[in-house]
Amino acid sequence: MVAQPAIVQRRDAMTPVLRLLAKRLATSLIVLVGVSMLIFAIARIIPGDPARIALGPNATAEQIAALRAQLHLDQSVFVQYGYFVADVLRGDLGISLYTNRPVTTDIAQFLPATLELILVAGAMMIAFGLPLGIWSARYKGKWADNLIRLISLLGVSAPSFVWAVILMLLFAFYLPLFPIAGRISDDIVVTPVTGFLMIDTLVAGNLRAFADAAWHIALPAFALALSGIGQAARLTRANMVETYERPYIEMARSYGFSERRIANRYAFKPSLIPSLTIIGLDFAAMLGNAFLVEAIFAWPGLSRYGVEVILRKDLNGIVGTVLIISATFLIVNIIVDLLIAFLNPRIRHSQRAS
Amino acid sequence: MTTTLKTWGAALLAATTMAAAIPAAQAGGVLRLDEVAVGELDPGKASDYADSILMFNVYDTLVIPNQGGPGHQPHLATSWEQDGTSVTFKLRDDVTFNSGNPLTAEDVVFSLERMKTLGQGLSYLFGDVEGAEALDEHTVRFDLARPYAPFIAALVRLPIIDKQAVMDNLGEGEGEMGDWGQAYLSANSAGTGAYTVVSHNPQQETVMEMNPDYFLGVPEAAPDTVRLRYGLEAATVRTLITQGEHDIASQWLPPEVIKALEANGAQLFTESGTGAFYVKMNTTKPPLDDVNCRLALSKAFDYGAALQMIAITDQIAQGSAPTGAIPVGMFGANPADQTLGRDLDAAKQHLADCQYSPEDFTLEISWIAEVPIEERFALLMQANFAELGIRSEITKLPWALFSEQVSKPENTPHISQLFVNAVTGDPDTLLYGQYHSSTAGTWQSPEYLNDPEVDRHLEAGRTAQTPQAREQAYSALNERLMEIAPTIYGYDRQSVFAASSRVKAPALTDPEAAFGLDGMGFSFRLMEVAD
Repeated sequence: MVAQPAIVQRRDAMTPVLRLLAKRLATSLIVLVGVSMLIFAIARIIPGDPARIALGPNATAEQIAALRAQLHLDQSVFVQYGYFVADVLRGDLGISLYTNRPVTTDIAQFLPATLELILVAGAMMIAFGLPLGIWSARYKGKWADNLIRLISLLGVSAPSFVWAVILMLLFAFYLPLFPIAGRISDDIVVTPVTGFLMIDTLVAGNLRAFADAAWHIALPAFALALSGIGQAARLTRANMVETYERPYIEMARSYGFSERRIANRYAFKPSLIPSLTIIGLDFAAMLGNAFLVEAIFAWPGLSRYGVEVILRKDLNGIVGTVLIISATFLIVNIIVDLLIAFLNPRIRHSQRAS
Repeated sequence: MTTTLKTWGAALLAATTMAAAIPAAQAGGVLRLDEVAVGELDPGKASDYADSILMFNVYDTLVIPNQGGPGHQPHLATSWEQDGTSVTFKLRDDVTFNSGNPLTAEDVVFSLERMKTLGQGLSYLFGDVEGAEALDEHTVRFDLARPYAPFIAALVRLPIIDKQAVMDNLGEGEGEMGDWGQAYLSANSAGTGAYTVVSHNPQQETVMEMNPDYFLGVPEAAPDTVRLRYGLEAATVRTLITQGEHDIASQWLPPEVIKALEANGAQLFTESGTGAFYVKMNTTKPPLDDVNCRLALSKAFDYGAALQMIAITDQIAQGSAPTGAIPVGMFGANPADQTLGRDLDAAKQHLADCQYSPEDFTLEISWIAEVPIEERFALLMQANFAELGIRSEITKLPWALFSEQVSKPENTPHISQLFVNAVTGDPDTLLYGQYHSSTAGTWQSPEYLNDPEVDRHLEAGRTAQTPQAREQAYSALNERLMEIAPTIYGYDRQSVFAASSRVKAPALTDPEAAFGLDGMGFSFRLMEVAD
């Protein structure tokens, strides 16, 4: 008799979250279609003839005309979009004029490298950014707080490629502790399974290769994470400081709870929501912003590919990359929303009410 | 949270310690170099420098350029005979592809057919070739539509592909030939070359291994493994070379980085004689439709200052003083000591003879956004021309926009800056596309030159049957191009590569061993790496 209402209650609690998920998935699909139309049109507005650029400076007029016809560039934008949608439904994003291979092959090869990089960077943001923020708020006005605020400000204000160059100079050149370029040492061969080297090396049971991959990813991921760490620390601090002024914290103090317990249990959870939103957005944005870090550490990722295809006006490459980045953005947003819904009872309940 | 911090700290420390225990990759027998992305492995589509390096090492051609002088020698062929518009080649009978298939005349016919059908890369070089026919297993005849003297030179751009390997790996496509093996050849090698491809990622690197069965043999000292890396940043290359983790840098490094590497003990490799830096004037637009105005600008240009901008050391620069329209070393070039120089008095005289007065026009000087050095040249010209009282505006144009603008004379800027190379080493591939009236309006020909005499010399150079006749035709062309000055001939280009001291590359250091063809100096079988 006691157990039954509990089960009912849990079912009730899940349904709004599922409803939220379904709603977000449906809107995401509409957003993706919108993005595809927009990027399809924008890519065609950039000056330059893709066929002429792809075939190189020495191509004859006949060669250019033939490639234009092959790419349907001689037809109206609407007809071109029709061909594009038909191809996408078959899982075909066309041939990249940059690499001369199917765009899907390029994405399959380059996306895991970037995803691995930003996953590690994202983990660093959470692991370093949040504790620094909490610490800073707890010691507000003391030297630790000032130091953390200074570091955070530096992290936020210098772009990640500047950090990349500084870190490379310090830890790969003057103090050769870390490798300069690439994802793994030349003498290690890893059979690709997922494309994520840190997973593939573990699957193969090769711990030395795993350590080597982790060693290679440390500097670029840290360079990429620094601004996110700074931002997360600043935001967490600001929210914590605000939360500390709330009456219920006063009450917790008057109950004689330890400062650590107050910080971790009562002040941190409500302060986490804005930080989580920002980290989520940062994480998705890194997929496109990692370009310069990838270039400096010779990281063969999708971000670099994205910039190269834009410079070469590789229409299929541009549309494919933007679609993948948008999809990742949407997925990360949905995950963050769900996490927040779990963390914040008000959002959960408002869904139920609606 | 302190616990989390501690855990992370410990993990990072552990990773660092484990990694520090990993020895750096052994350098013995490995050659590491870089180029701009991407590396195109399909020899039918090869056009860039990286593609050329891949092609010259993974595939072979019927002929190769002589080292240290003009002309060509048999390579996969043993000899050739020309009879009017047909050329017959005898092939070697001791050559096998990496697959083990023997090289036959059918492979040559197939390679030409594939290149012409795909119509990409440098296939335009074979526009005048009607077809090829296998006369027997080791004899092949090419039929030309009309006399075409640069044909033998063009063959250095016709890599011979393993027909059987391609036929076994045809991908989807229209017709019986499917995709003509495009998917297969963009990831695998199917040649007879001294190196075979182990792995290929067009944006990251191509790993090649020495082919022990190469028909000419590969010397012991040549690299066993080659890693051709793509798209490395200048800062990264500089760090890698200084740490001993890279051997040859690409030619695209900024001069100051090459200079810094040289100061740190790097040696400098060079490659020259195939191209030049051209400042092109739109001859259809006033005031540059008047030859005297063009001559005034040519004489006002400070050639010495331009050379200083590209100097690496006192001895080596990314170019040498120009002598005319044709780089030193090619048919028709002027002697190396007859260099062009600035003459402000002559410039003023020409300007006085010009029908336009400097007060009546403003010149548009463009530079290509992707080539930063051109901005410096644009500023130099602005200062040089100002001394004649000529006003000018500088415009930055991305390549994509530039190549579109030049398709119409009215949209083409007064002045465009371009680096042009002879892709086969023959002057025809350098000059015909730039100056023949039928090719006006491409990126190579923003001059829109329409001069019957120039056309006549270009045709003569293309059809002349003897080296002497060609020399004469190009010499006359050079003279005419100096006379009507459609272009300021900036400097003869020289590619400079910074390299670690463990590499020896005679084809890039000794003029007697140089090929006179861009990229061929990177034949790895002719290099040596110290263990």
